[in-house]
Amino acid sequence: MKSDFNLSRRNLLKGGVALAGTAAVGGGLVPRRAMAADKTLRVLLAGDPFYYAIEGLKDQFEQETGIKLQIEAISLEALQARLTSSFISNEPDADVISVDQMWLGQYLESKWITPLNEFIKADSDTDIADYIPEVLYSLNTWRGQIGTLPVAAYGQMVLYRKDFAEKAGIAVPEDGSWSWSDYLAAVQKMNGQDFDGKKMSGTVLAGQQPAPVVHMYSQLAASMGTRWFKDFPAASAWDFQPTLNSPENLAALKIFSELYKNAPPESVGYNWFDAGMRFAKGDVGMFYWWTPYAYLCKKDGYMSGKDSVVADKLGMARLPKGPGEQVVSLGGHSLGITANTANRDASWQFVKWATSAKTQKAMGLYNKYGYQFSDFARPSLYKDAELLKIYPHLTAQLGDLERGNGKIVRPPVPVYTTLEGIYGLNLNKVLTGQLTPEACLSDTQTYFETILKGNFLIPYQQASFNDTLDATKSLLKSLA
Amino acid sequence: MTAISIAAPPRARRRLPDYTPWLLISPSILLLVALIAFPLLFALKNSFYFWNLQMGPSPMGFIGFDNYKMALSNGMFLDSLKTTLMMTVVGTAVEFTLGLAIALLLLRKLSGIKLTRVLLIMPTTIAPIVVGFLFRYMYDPNGGLIPWLLTSSGIPLPAAGLLGSPSTALWAVLFADIWQWTPFFAIVLYAALLAVPGEIVEAAKIDGISPWKQLLHIKLPLIRKTAMIVVMLRFMQIFNTFDLVVVLTKGGPGTSSRTLGYSLYQAGMVDFNIGLSSAMTWMMVIIVNAIIGLFVFFAFKDWD
Repeated sequence: MKSDFNLSRRNLLKGGVALAGTAAVGGGLVPRRAMAADKTLRVLLAGDPFYYAIEGLKDQFEQETGIKLQIEAISLEALQARLTSSFISNEPDADVISVDQMWLGQYLESKWITPLNEFIKADSDTDIADYIPEVLYSLNTWRGQIGTLPVAAYGQMVLYRKDFAEKAGIAVPEDGSWSWSDYLAAVQKMNGQDFDGKKMSGTVLAGQQPAPVVHMYSQLAASMGTRWFKDFPAASAWDFQPTLNSPENLAALKIFSELYKNAPPESVGYNWFDAGMRFAKGDVGMFYWWTPYAYLCKKDGYMSGKDSVVADKLGMARLPKGPGEQVVSLGGHSLGITANTANRDASWQFVKWATSAKTQKAMGLYNKYGYQFSDFARPSLYKDAELLKIYPHLTAQLGDLERGNGKIVRPPVPVYTTLEGIYGLNLNKVLTGQLTPEACLSDTQTYFETILKGNFLIPYQQASFNDTLDATKSLLKSLA
Repeated sequence: MTAISIAAPPRARRRLPDYTPWLLISPSILLLVALIAFPLLFALKNSFYFWNLQMGPSPMGFIGFDNYKMALSNGMFLDSLKTTLMMTVVGTAVEFTLGLAIALLLLRKLSGIKLTRVLLIMPTTIAPIVVGFLFRYMYDPNGGLIPWLLTSSGIPLPAAGLLGSPSTALWAVLFADIWQWTPFFAIVLYAALLAVPGEIVEAAKIDGISPWKQLLHIKLPLIRKTAMIVVMLRFMQIFNTFDLVVVLTKGGPGTSSRTLGYSLYQAGMVDFNIGLSSAMTWMMVIIVNAIIGLFVFFAFKDWD
């Protein structure tokens, strides 16, 4: 049978015109609501626990707003590389992104993200008064602007095996009334003991260079009174002359070296999660680390859903103190809106939704892998009875967050990543015995000076900003 | 019926100008030059500018050779170069030797040789990142396969593990590379050995020449061209090793396994110092080309 269909150039053109016409007319007839439902927001996040909770709850957002979410999570290092290349090539890669506190200044000053001050001011739903000011100061503000909002706020605390501490005759002061020397003594007492059929290590370190070892060591150093620079960030004139080669830092580094002697030797190469999971295996007495490990260590793997051997034996305590006022390291993840997005309003809807008390509580109650999120930045959630029942460490966590100052422990100076690279490398060399603590601090100080001078930060000739917690509190009041 | 063929009147042959072939291939040449030269020239220009994305999104001024001076002044570049050269020379030599040994075994037509050939090629098809993760598990001091094998054989291990000790970390990274790429040498050299004329080898056997001398004086000279090219390729690849280092050691402990590729990644993709990483790139380009140039000069000088 012969087909009547004749594929000719003319017929093809006719068909094309008909299709285009249908599309044009039909497009105009599509109801506006249906178009809103088709809107898709691209969200690029760091693959930390908060991502799993958001991914699990995204249907709620889609139902509430009609906006679809396309969420992708990658490692922090890959995220930074991908975002930077998308910004310098001006190829929008996402509408909403995770922004680390160390990248905030760079992103705002390069106009890669949109400041959120005006959004917050225009939208009372943000409930900006219900944020821990120390968290916003440390994670989200730069030169008087709020660039991001926190979706997961971390402090640091001590985690220990209660049953082993009891057997070893160690009373851990959970309220934090102890010094770093007391902490070291407890670790030394625990190290090498036989318990539960295992040879116990006193502690475990995250010794991998550069970021993990700096994250861990800088907490101890700041507690002992170490400051990175002469005058930054709370100063009317910034002075980036490094002050790492100080007696306080030397004392801290000697304690850190001693801690390593009481840790599994292979922890010299451990990253954040390696250290946490080593503790979760049960052969480590105590360690201090980011607060998410209070719930992560209750599981035997990342989002495995299975309880670890220490799940019901986990004790938590506030950090030991140095001779001066306690300073706790603050970190976490925040959401920002890319400046080159075509979906500014929808992006703000998502940021507001993900950081709201309602969603954050739902994230805390999300139970697909066990309860794996308690990193709240809103004080109201620390009083929530339902959450306190699941996460009994919340009171201690709030206490530490309120003593937090991320800008002192790891200052967000413009070339932070480069400085962290040098510092982390030299700290790692101390652990492997390639450098003495004295040589490490002297070398690091010299390298810092060279880098800061090479990047025109010494002497500092640009405008300074007296970046204090009080200034952030005033900013929040003005936006509330 | 007789076919009558009428010859077409002779057309005046127009001579094309001499430059016509050049004209015809010039678009391809221009495209090729642009694709190769543009990134290199762009990097060369950037290497003379202060351009750190942590400080600002665009270049902040011409600084002459300061980026080159900075790369050389802190010792990091030279330390990485030393580590890289050691890894490259040892890695290429070991992979070539083992690859040749495997290729010679394959020639013996033992039973199961077809399956062996298929299995041999498999490691080279795995992405280096995946190989890195695989070896991370195999090197785990708490139950990893390799520490277990070594301790079972009575070989002492460093307390911090193979990846945690400055004396073993680089060799542990190199071992993973050797595991992955030796089969590549084996397959290529096997193919080259198959092309060696059988009668020459037979004649040598009749003359009573030992297998070792046959290899040194007959087979190796006959496969020299292939061997040189594959050695050169692997030399350049190992010189740029970065992915295995990222996954296994992050260049540590200390700088013990920090290769130039990793240092470049750190400067460009972590520190975002475009000027410094461009200067390092150019120094790497010069070093690799100088080494390869010398290699080509000595290895290929008596070629037809």
